[in-house]
Amino acid sequence: MLPSSSTSAEAFQVRVQIFGLLRLMLNGLESLEVRCAPGETVGSLLEKFQAALAQPVTHKLLTPEGELWVGTIILVNRRNVLHLEGLQTPIQAGDVVALFPPGAGG
Amino acid sequence: MQNLDTERYARQLPLWGEAGQERLARAAVLVAGVGGLGATLSQILVRAGVGQLYLVDQGTVALSDLQRQSLYAECDLGRVKVEVARERLLAIDSSVTIEIDPGWIEDGFQAPGGIVAAVDCLDNFASRFALYRALPARCYFLHGGVEGGQGQLLTLLTGSSQPFEEICAGCRQPVGAIPVAPESVFVLAGLMAGELFRCLAGNPRLLDRFLVVDLAALTLSFLDV
Repeated sequence: MLPSSSTSAEAFQVRVQIFGLLRLMLNGLESLEVRCAPGETVGSLLEKFQAALAQPVTHKLLTPEGELWVGTIILVNRRNVLHLEGLQTPIQAGDVVALFPPGAGG
Repeated sequence: MQNLDTERYARQLPLWGEAGQERLARAAVLVAGVGGLGATLSQILVRAGVGQLYLVDQGTVALSDLQRQSLYAECDLGRVKVEVARERLLAIDSSVTIEIDPGWIEDGFQAPGGIVAAVDCLDNFASRFALYRALPARCYFLHGGVEGGQGQLLTLLTGSSQPFEEICAGCRQPVGAIPVAPESVFVLAGLMAGELFRCLAGNPRLLDRFLVVDLAALTLSFLDV
């Protein structure tokens, strides 16, 4: 059997979960399936995530310089990407990505 | 346990029995922060019969605290919070042992010996990380946080869970005062108390799992970590 030849055949869906004040900002959106391609990273996923939403959101996730913003934790399979490879963390089929700005007050 | 006060606990003994009540009476719990969450949570713990509390908070009572911090009143303005808290809690139940520390929780903080759990009712991540690092092995860490009409809880067990500092890596304090809806601290503190009771019974429901509460949308969500 020949291997799948097209990029679309290798594409996969990743579910991005949204929590806390970010969900409030996105009108209650709980999660979004994002179509990914081989070589996808957290950084490129966030760009696709924003494009799919058709509204600005990365300003809540990244600094103007493109670095991870400190107010939102980004988890890939339960691990904070700051303990993985940051925005270069590879995304693979089956991964679960969560965006959560935890409440800071007490 | 001697002299179980069956009249005081008449409404809860049917729920968890004398063994459960005695378990609470033997427990020593560190309450880190007696502001919005901590004031209400410590009150619930004392009313429920937790035998020993350590209260840590460096703050004094301010007018802006009174909309949500249930242990304090206008007559307390300017007073050290942990001192007022101890007075009010002992007025509820004079048999509880309450020790206080009017200091910051920062690097080098020493957790009291013998505690089975620490409840994080702090208002900044640096102190939360320092608290977690100070805990002994096999100690429950119950995190709570609020902002606006939202909040979250999380239970970790030191030595087996991911360290809190890894989960919330990179989190810093937002600039300026954090808006907090008064009802949110009461709801979150109640949920934290319930989770603490389950921890004391060896049956936490939020171990390695955030419960995210949105009081505006009236939703509960879970996030495993």
